[in-house]
Amino acid sequence: MDEEYEVIVLGTGLKECILSGLLSVDGVKVLHMDRNDYYGGESTSLNLNQLWKKFRGEEKAPEHLGASRDYNVDMMPKFMMGNGKLVRTLIHTDVTKYLSFKAVDGSYVFVKGKVQKVPATPMEALKSSLMGIFEKRRAGKFFSFVQEYDEKDPKTHDGMDLTRVTTKELIAKYGLDGNTIDFIGHAVALHTNDQHLDQPAFDTVMRMKLYAESLARFQGTSPYIYPLYGLGELPQAFARLSAVYGGTYMLNKPECKVEFDEGGKVIGVTSEGETAKCKKIVCDPSYLPNKVRKIGRVARAIAIMSHPIPNTNDSHSVQVIIPQKQLARKSDMYVFCCSYSHNVAPKGKFIAFVSTDAETDNPQTELKPGTDLLGPVDEIFFDMYDRYEPVNEPELDNCFISTSYDATTHFETTVADVLNMYTLITGKQLDLSVDLSAASAAEE
Amino acid sequence: MPSRRRTLLKVIILGDSGVGKTSLMNQYVNKKFSNQYKATIGADFLTKEVQFEDRLFTLQIWDTAGQERFQSLGVAFYRGADCCVLVYDVNSAKSFEDLNNWREEFLIQASPSDPENFPFVVIGNKIDVDGGSSRVVSEKKARAWCASKGNIPYYETSAKVGTNVEDAFLCITTNAMKSGEEEEMYLPDTIDVGTSNPQRSTGCEC
Repeated sequence: MDEEYEVIVLGTGLKECILSGLLSVDGVKVLHMDRNDYYGGESTSLNLNQLWKKFRGEEKAPEHLGASRDYNVDMMPKFMMGNGKLVRTLIHTDVTKYLSFKAVDGSYVFVKGKVQKVPATPMEALKSSLMGIFEKRRAGKFFSFVQEYDEKDPKTHDGMDLTRVTTKELIAKYGLDGNTIDFIGHAVALHTNDQHLDQPAFDTVMRMKLYAESLARFQGTSPYIYPLYGLGELPQAFARLSAVYGGTYMLNKPECKVEFDEGGKVIGVTSEGETAKCKKIVCDPSYLPNKVRKIGRVARAIAIMSHPIPNTNDSHSVQVIIPQKQLARKSDMYVFCCSYSHNVAPKGKFIAFVSTDAETDNPQTELKPGTDLLGPVDEIFFDMYDRYEPVNEPELDNCFISTSYDATTHFETTVADVLNMYTLITGKQLDLSVDLSAASAAEE
Repeated sequence: MPSRRRTLLKVIILGDSGVGKTSLMNQYVNKKFSNQYKATIGADFLTKEVQFEDRLFTLQIWDTAGQERFQSLGVAFYRGADCCVLVYDVNSAKSFEDLNNWREEFLIQASPSDPENFPFVVIGNKIDVDGGSSRVVSEKKARAWCASKGNIPYYETSAKVGTNVEDAFLCITTNAMKSGEEEEMYLPDTIDVGTSNPQRSTGCEC
């Protein structure tokens, strides 16, 4: 291991693996290490025995649940938006060749005491039971406005400057009611709380457009896609990309200790008595605990079931968003379900997750509104984990630390963090726009 | 898409660093050899269309991309393999001794449904080196090991001059084919996410 690298990456979480892949493709000499003997870190997927060991402290799961290896239980469940940043990154790097994807069956929102399908087009809005007939007309006009909106074409702006007009003001113009505002803001624009209402509307409109574009991308019943065998495939795919371009991989490296010079600048990493030198470190928060601060906790439940989530039209993969206001909370609650259809469980089994930013110390009680939607469960686990963000100055110490994964069931925040880190590390912006046009062109 | 199962066969190549795994792939698919050794860079997977009897197969041959050097292959690399090729260098006793570890690692990571009958093929490579005078693993010893592990087919090759490479891969294809047919895997419909063709060959000489 005694060697020199430009960048040493610690932890094989998805963020770290994407960065490792991008840097290796750029010709950077990368060493990537992890204390575990598997890829994924906090964002890995576990088989059944691993799940039992982590949450029950037992070596083996009950046999009636099926073969351990048939389970791929995500520790950070999230769906990918069809037109979103992660898909663009996959296409940009050609990592799609290592993966297989399937559309997610359903996208739902919990509003007015019911689980309801999220409409994202004027057509769907008209069919939806989410809104009464007059509200449908108003919402249809709003959706049409969003669909037509083009930042560069003032004729589509309807006389409003969306970089000044707030979301609340925009919505008031169309006279939408509180429940409609909730499902649009949380289940279409995917905001995690209500703060967006007082912000300029541009961001919300662009998010709504992303949702509609993602829905149209694969002409599915939801805007989301998800890999076969679960999300643990993604870190491995990007790690392989890095390896193909010369990245060196060392799993099962305990006690990766980051070394600094007198000036506080990173100089290398020591593990098992050997030191590798480097100019920069990229890592998840657990490898440099003194350089991060806690920013919250996530409460989560993981359930094994033998049926789809009720009221989702028998969806084998589904997201249900519960907007904060429906529960009198500060942030949304997310319900995510996948199944043997995506090869993450044996035939007939479903895996469901409920997660939210924790506001209490009792995950079981706090998550009840979400777990109540699941129906009967075969097994359920409750957990809380801390979230961290970096507080160091990368230009001083050359350490680039990722932020912990949030409770959302989609990847947009994750990739935004990665792209920001990439720019900090390299000084370059990653251009992800051309590739998608090429992809679209290929489809014509 | 059940037909996809019968036409796409995944073959993985395992063995210590430096035994010639990438060179074997390149010799078989591209009829090329490079004397310049670097721990594998740029090798990924290669595909080759193979006609067998009246059917056409796509053989997808996966290199380790160098991740085997520090035992850092992930479970995704192993998943869905139809045949596992174990490669050692006849001039390196250690690489032969490590075959046992590689076979065990494969069985753990891939968890085939019928481990006793999963098809392996063993290749002893670099028989050309020094005209054979630096050889340290005898053919007899290698064949005995293969017999003891369930009569694994055995080939001695030179990726450099192409000796026996075609024969070895014919055997690999035949065994992968049988394995691919026997497994009834649940294969959900998948969608095309990118512009890339997953069967496109990539890689360079190493």
